[in-house]
Amino acid sequence: MTAQSARKATNRRRVTGESNRSAWLRHHKDSALSSLMRLVRNPVSSALTWLVIAIALTLPTLFYLALSSLQQQTEQWQEGGQITLYLRSEVSQDQGERLTGELDERPEVLRAYYISADEAWTSFRETLTLSSDSLNLEGNPLPASIVVIPTQQNSSQLEALRLIIDGLPEVEDVQLDLAWIDRLNRFLELISSLVTGLAILLGIAVLLVVGNTIRLAIESRKEEIRIIKLLGATEAFVRRPFVYLGIWYGLLGGLAAWLLVSLLAWWLHAPLGAFLSTYGLSADIAWLGPRESLVLVGSAIGVSLLGARIALWRHLRDAEPR
Amino acid sequence: MIHFDQVSKRYEGGHEALSSVSLHIEKGEMVFLTGHSGAGKSTMLKLITRIEKPSSGQLRVNGQLLNRLRAYQVPHFRRHLGIVHQDHQLLMDQTVFDNVALPLIIAGEHPNDVTRRVRAALDKVGLLKREKYQPIQLSGGEQQRVGIARAVVKKPAILLADEPTGNLDPALSKDIMRLFAEFNRVGTTVLIASHDLGLIARLNYRVVSLQEGRLLTTPFSGAAS
Repeated sequence: MTAQSARKATNRRRVTGESNRSAWLRHHKDSALSSLMRLVRNPVSSALTWLVIAIALTLPTLFYLALSSLQQQTEQWQEGGQITLYLRSEVSQDQGERLTGELDERPEVLRAYYISADEAWTSFRETLTLSSDSLNLEGNPLPASIVVIPTQQNSSQLEALRLIIDGLPEVEDVQLDLAWIDRLNRFLELISSLVTGLAILLGIAVLLVVGNTIRLAIESRKEEIRIIKLLGATEAFVRRPFVYLGIWYGLLGGLAAWLLVSLLAWWLHAPLGAFLSTYGLSADIAWLGPRESLVLVGSAIGVSLLGARIALWRHLRDAEPR
Repeated sequence: MIHFDQVSKRYEGGHEALSSVSLHIEKGEMVFLTGHSGAGKSTMLKLITRIEKPSSGQLRVNGQLLNRLRAYQVPHFRRHLGIVHQDHQLLMDQTVFDNVALPLIIAGEHPNDVTRRVRAALDKVGLLKREKYQPIQLSGGEQQRVGIARAVVKKPAILLADEPTGNLDPALSKDIMRLFAEFNRVGTTVLIASHDLGLIARLNYRVVSLQEGRLLTTPFSGAAS
């Protein structure tokens, strides 16, 4: 082979390579379009599939929204979390203030302040303006106290701080009103595992629904598959329209789920706000952010695509030419 | 072009459809394959199109040893064959044009070439004016001609036909055979399975007969005449 003919051969190869690639792209485009047209031509039967996908995805997404808005609320509540140390009566004001200073310097403590017995007595009397005259108390029964506001609000770190405080000899009693925060955190963890479990379960449901729909599509076009295989169609060529069918189902289902979630969030906002206001709380309307919306639609497409691939892998072998 | 060398085909259950068949069809030949139903005609065509694999013996088609053809090579091998079926096997939900275009689309031809070549093939079978029709709107003979147009649109090296005139009246059958002869004249190797002995006898081509899976005639073209 001369250098020139070798170059010609290389050029020819390159040309076929490019035309192969453009043919491949063209078939992707054609398959995507023809699969979409199939959905559009059978609106009722295809709607059944993508609506099931949408409903299956709406449920965990709605739970997730409720959970994340609840978590935002509890973050605010926890900022009010504080520990009150009631000091023994024999502890002097100097000792009390020194201890407050020591606690204030600890890294887990955001702020600590000292309330002397007199201050406590004064503020107690102020809150009882009306009945204070009728109260006939002699002397001040209240102890001095230190209020500690921790920096970390997570329950295990709070527990560590509590252990330190419990060991202080000056402290008579600790009022740690954090058990409910701990309980709430555990409750939220439980709900979040529940949401994850639900999402996995309903994800499998989507997988099965799409798998079954694609299986029926393969079944109804078995004759066509047999014919085009005899005409030299590759496996990938045969699979492509069905793969796109899965993608379209996922996309439509994901978008419909997004719409359903938004509608439900809007619809539930007023009654939820009314309910929370009885606790003196306000509910911000929880929307799916752009990232969450993308995850919702993306996972809908991903799961349907997987369902389609499984159905193709299981059922395309039956469509060998005879 | 098609070389059977001591080829046997046994199906599961022990039924032997072909027993050590040797047959050589050269490039540019046109051959009729005859025999009663169940004699093995369909099995031979299935072996050539690699729907079935030989149980023993060697089969070489278009230079490819089919015994060694891997699954991923099968689609590309089939693109060199044109196949005409008795029941034409058209896609009923697509137009005549789209049906004939299928082999070109599968091979990834450019849309401009597709249009040109589909029109040429339809013109050859006399159905250019029917390109926008659905197959169901055509008569049996016309449907068969669409099937032939689809088989030849890619200018295959080998044209195979399984009872192409099985459902047609004698006049239409003659038309169809004339079409095959025309393709053969431009160099296509043609193999037609048919039990229409009367029609075959009037045409002057090599005839190969099968009986109970065995070849009755000699394997080479020279010895037959």
